[in-house]
Amino acid sequence: MAYQIEVSHLSKHYQVHDKEPGLAGSLRSFFARKYRVVKAVDDVSFTIGQGEMVGFLGPNGAGKTTTLKVLSGLLYPTAGNATVLGFTPHQRETAYLKQFTLVMGQKQQLMWDLPALETFLVNQAIYEIPRAQFDATLKELDDLLDLGPIMKKQVRKLSLGERMKCELAAALLHRPKVLFLDEPTIGLDVTMQVRIRDFIAAFNKRYGATVILTSHYMADVTALCDRIIVIDKGHLFYDGNFRALIERVAPYKIIKLQLERPTTSEVLSQFGKVEFSDGLTAVLHVPRASATESAARLLAQLKVEDVTFEDPPVEDIIREVFAVNAASNPTAQE
Amino acid sequence: MQYLKLITLFLKANILIELEYRANFVAHALVSLGWVSVTIVGTTVFFTQTDTIGGWTFYETLVISGMFTLIGGFIQMFLQPNVQKVIEMVRLGTLDFVLIKPVNSQFMASLRYAQLFSGVDVIAGGFIMVYAMGHLGLTPDAVTLLLFAVMVLMSMVIVYSIWMVMATFSFWFVKVGNMTELFNSVYDTGRFPVSTFQGVLRVMLTLVIPIAFITTFPAQAILGRLDAVTFVASVVMGFGMFVFSAWFWRFAIRQYSSASS
Repeated sequence: MAYQIEVSHLSKHYQVHDKEPGLAGSLRSFFARKYRVVKAVDDVSFTIGQGEMVGFLGPNGAGKTTTLKVLSGLLYPTAGNATVLGFTPHQRETAYLKQFTLVMGQKQQLMWDLPALETFLVNQAIYEIPRAQFDATLKELDDLLDLGPIMKKQVRKLSLGERMKCELAAALLHRPKVLFLDEPTIGLDVTMQVRIRDFIAAFNKRYGATVILTSHYMADVTALCDRIIVIDKGHLFYDGNFRALIERVAPYKIIKLQLERPTTSEVLSQFGKVEFSDGLTAVLHVPRASATESAARLLAQLKVEDVTFEDPPVEDIIREVFAVNAASNPTAQE
Repeated sequence: MQYLKLITLFLKANILIELEYRANFVAHALVSLGWVSVTIVGTTVFFTQTDTIGGWTFYETLVISGMFTLIGGFIQMFLQPNVQKVIEMVRLGTLDFVLIKPVNSQFMASLRYAQLFSGVDVIAGGFIMVYAMGHLGLTPDAVTLLLFAVMVLMSMVIVYSIWMVMATFSFWFVKVGNMTELFNSVYDTGRFPVSTFQGVLRVMLTLVIPIAFITTFPAQAILGRLDAVTFVASVVMGFGMFVFSAWFWRFAIRQYSSASS
C-alpha cells in the first residue's frame, strides 16, 4: 500500500436551519424551518504516506474538522471516497478503530471527577491492550510528557496544559498508527504549546505514526509539518511544502519597533517596507533573506527601546494564498 | 470478557466518584428514606377508605410498592445518570469519543455511569416486599422465586429500553429533559396495581408505556399469581423492546453521522 490515507473527491454536505432574529423569527422557524445546504467539504483530494506529518490550515468553518471526522468514521461522506490504512472509515470496523486516534483540543474524554489514570485503565480494557504493553507505553508516555505527578490527581484539579497532556496520553495508549489532532494546543500558554509540539514530534519519530494536525497557531505547524494543506470553505487551496509557500506568498518578516525618539516613515523606509508608523511605534516588513542584516543596521542607527521579530501570521499567509488563487486557478498543487 | 472487565472498571470508577462526595451519600440516604415513607403512607391512606384497590389487598399492594421503589432505585442508579450523560455528550459533541472506540457504543453509552447511592432505594424496595410477604404469610418456593427473578429482569430490560429510546431522541431534539419528566410522572402510576385503572388508561399502561410489566406483573409473580400468558408476554415485551432500542440507537447514530457537522 503506497499511501496510508487516500482521499479522493471527498464531499460532505449537510443541512442546517437558519433561525431568524427575534421572537417572531423564532416562532416562524419553529413551524416552518428553512433549510440550507452547507458544503463543509467540497471535492477535496489528497494522499498521505506513512509517517508523514501534515498540517491542515484554514479559517474557522473551513472544513478541517469535518475532514478529520470523515477520516475518523464519525461522518459519512456525501460523495467521494476516503481510505485510511486500507479501511473505509465510516464502516467503523474494530480493526480500524484500534489503529487510529482522534484528539480534539476543545473536547475531553477524561473522566472529570477521577484521576486520568482511571481513564487510562478504561482505555486499556477498551483497546484490549496487554498488561505488559500498557505498562511499557505508559512509561514511555510518562518519559515524554512527565505524567507522573499529574495522572493521579483528579482531572478537574489539573491545569489546562496538564489536562491536555493526559488527554494525549489517553488517546495514544493503544499506539495508534494514525493520529488526527484537532487543535491540540488550543488555549495553552506558549511553554506548554512547545511542550506538546515536541511531544508530537517525538511520538511521530518513535512510532513512525502518521499525523494530521490542525492548528490556529502558525508555530505549531511550522515546527512540525513540512507539508501543509490549506482548506477554505470546503475547498482545497494549497497542498505542498510549507516553506515554499511562505517564500512565495509571504517572503518577509515583521519587525515591530518601539522607538525612543519620534522617527519619520521616510527614515524607517530605508530598512524595510513601512506598514505602520506613528512616530514612536512602527511595523516594518523586511525581506526574509535579509532580515537579520536589516535588523542589525536598524539597531545600529536608531535609538530603539524595544523590538520584536515575527513571522507573518498564518491568517495573512492564507489570505495571500486565496488572493493568489483567486487571480489564477482555484486549486494549486505543488 | 472485555465487556466484563469494562463493567468492573466502570463500577470501580463510580465507587471512587461516590466516595469523593461523602456528604452526598448521607443526603441521598435521607431523601431515599423520605420517599419510601411517602410511598408507604400514601398506600396506607388509600386503604383507610377501602379494603381493596383493583382487587388487591393492602399487603398485596405493598408488594407492588416495593417493586415500584426497587425499580425506581434501579432507574436512579443506572438509567438516569447514563441518559443524562448521553444528552450532555450529544450537546457537547463528546459522543464522538464514544463512537470512535472499538466497543459497542450503546454498551459504552448506557453502562458507564452509575449513581450507586440509589442502591439504597433498591434495598428498601426489597425490604418492603419481604415485609409485605411476611404479613401475607407467604413463603415463595424455588419455582416462584425463579419466575420472579425472570420477571424482575424483564422489568429492568423494559425500563432500560424505554430510557434508551428517550436518550436516543436527544440526537434530534437536543433537550429531552421533558421526556424523562413525562416518563417519571407516568411511572408514578406504577405504585398501584394496573387493574386500578380502567379502559383506555389501562390499555395504555399495559401496551404503550408498559408500566404494568414493570411493577404489577413481577409483583404477581412473587405472590404466586402469575399466569402463563403474562409470563410469556413479559419475556416477549422485554426482548422486543430491547431489540427496538438497539435498532433505534444504531439508526440514530447513522443519522448523526450523515447529518451533523
